[in-house]
Amino acid sequence: MIQRHQRIVFWCLVVCILGMGLLLFWERQRARDRVSQLADNTPIDAPYTTTESITMDLASDDDGTITAQQRQIALPSEVTARARALLDHLAAEYAQPGSVHPLSPGAMVDDVYFVPLPVVGYSIDAGAKPSADGNTPTSLVPPDPDALQPQSPGDELAVINLRGSFVNAHPSGVEVEQLTLQSIIGTLHANLPQIEQVRFLVDGQPRETLAGHADLLRLYMVRDTTTTAAGH
Amino acid sequence: MPFTDLQRRPAAAMLFVIASIPSSVLFAQTATPTPTPTSGTVASTPPATAATTVPQPVPMNRGVVVLDPAHGGVDSGSRISDTLVEKDVTLAFAFKLRSLLTSRGFTVVMTRDSDAAFEANSPSTPLSLDDRAGIANHQRPVACLLLHATSAGSGVHLYTSDIAPTAGEPALQPWLTAQAAWVGESGKLERQIATALDRSRVVLASGNAAVRPVDSLTCPAVVVELAPSGDDPATITDTSYQQKVSEAIAGAMVFWQHQAQAPVRILPVPPPAAPAASAAATESNP
Repeated sequence: MIQRHQRIVFWCLVVCILGMGLLLFWERQRARDRVSQLADNTPIDAPYTTTESITMDLASDDDGTITAQQRQIALPSEVTARARALLDHLAAEYAQPGSVHPLSPGAMVDDVYFVPLPVVGYSIDAGAKPSADGNTPTSLVPPDPDALQPQSPGDELAVINLRGSFVNAHPSGVEVEQLTLQSIIGTLHANLPQIEQVRFLVDGQPRETLAGHADLLRLYMVRDTTTTAAGH
Repeated sequence: MPFTDLQRRPAAAMLFVIASIPSSVLFAQTATPTPTPTSGTVASTPPATAATTVPQPVPMNRGVVVLDPAHGGVDSGSRISDTLVEKDVTLAFAFKLRSLLTSRGFTVVMTRDSDAAFEANSPSTPLSLDDRAGIANHQRPVACLLLHATSAGSGVHLYTSDIAPTAGEPALQPWLTAQAAWVGESGKLERQIATALDRSRVVLASGNAAVRPVDSLTCPAVVVELAPSGDDPATITDTSYQQKVSEAIAGAMVFWQHQAQAPVRILPVPPPAAPAASAAATESNP
C-alpha cells in the first residue's frame, strides 16, 4: 500500500519533470530564433558559375621575380566583387603548401572601392546659410594639383582595404613585401584595365608599411609588374 | 690606380681624390650648406636681379652622411634567425660603417645609436619614420643610407626609390614625393656603391622599391639591405663579412663625395602681369 504522502511527492515530481521539459523546449525555441535573427543572409557576391581564364602575376621569393600565369577561375561580374575575388584567389595561391612566396592562409582583402579620377571632394561651406531643408551647404574641393593626375579620362583609383590579420602575419623584408605589392598591382592591371592608381588601407586606416618596409601610404600607379616571360 | 688598391690604403685614396678634384669643389665641404655653382649658369659676381631668376642648386653638405639603422625598440623588423632580429643587425652594421666613414673624414649622423630612438622633446615617444626622414633632410647630406637586413638571399641588396623623377626641386615639395628631385642622384650613388661591392666580390642585387621613408628624403638615398654571405643566416653577423661590406661602401662614399650634384631649385612661376600694367603698356604703344 502506497502511502498518501508518497503519492503526493510522486505527482509533484512528475509535474516538475513536465515543467522542466516545457521550459527546456521554450528556451530552445528562443535560442534558435535568436541565432536565425543574427545570421546575415544578405547576398554579397553575385552568383557565378562559369570559369574564365585570368592572368595572375605571381611572385617568387627564390629569384625575386613576378611571373604572369594563367588560371581558370569563376569570378563575379560586378567590378569591386571581381577585384576582391581576384585578390583572395591570389592570397590562396600563396597560402598553398610549397608556394614560392609563402604567405599565411586567410583572406587578404576586406573591401575594394573604386573612385573615379581625378579625385574630388566636398567640404562644408561655413560661410553659407543652411538650405531650406536643413542641409549644410558644401562646396566642391578641386583635385589636388600635387597628386598623381589621371593619364586617361574615365580611369579609376582602386582603394584596397587589406585585412589587419593578413598584414600582421605578412613576412618582413624589403623584397618579400615589395613582391606582394607588385603581385597585387600586376594582377589588377592584367584583369581590370580601368584601374590606373591603387591606394592601400589596413582595416580602414592608413598604415605606414606592410611589415616594416614597403610603403603603404603612397599612391601606386598600376602597371605591368612581370619580370619574366609568362608561364603556365 | 685600381680601386681595390685604394680600398686597401684609405689614406692614399683620400690624397688621390683630393689632388684630383678642383678647388671649387673642395670649398663646398663646409659645415654650412654652400651652393655649388653649376657650370655656365651662375656668374662669379651675379647681379642682384639675376640672383633672383637663375635657379640655384639645392645646398648640400658634402662632408655629411646620414645612416638610418632601420627599426628599433618595439619594432624589431624581420626575424633573421631564432635568436637574431633585424634591428640588432642594422645597428651593429651602422656602427661599423660609422667608424669607417668617420676615419675617412665624414661627419656621420645616425638616426639612432641605441636600441630605440626617441623624439628630442618627448623622450617617451619613439621616432617615427617621418621623424627619421626629417633628421636626414635637415642635415642636407651628400648621402642617406637606409640600413636593413634580411635572411633571404645572400650578399647585399641595393634599392632606390621608384617614384618618377623631376627636373629640379620645387620650392614647395610634397612630403611623400620629396625624393623625386633626387632620384637621378640616388641612382648614381647606387651604381657607385654597386661597383665598389662588385670589386670587393660581394654578391649583389639591386633594383627599385618603395621603402618607407626613402620617398620623403631630400638627398641621394639608397636602401642597403644586408643579407647573409652564405646559406647560413648566422653569417650575417660575421665580423669580417660586415667589415668587407662596410669598407666597400665607405670607399664608394669617398668617390661619391665629389661626384654628387645637387638638383637646382625650381623657382615659383611669377604671377601673370596685372591688368593695369598691360593697359598702361597698350596706352604707351597705341
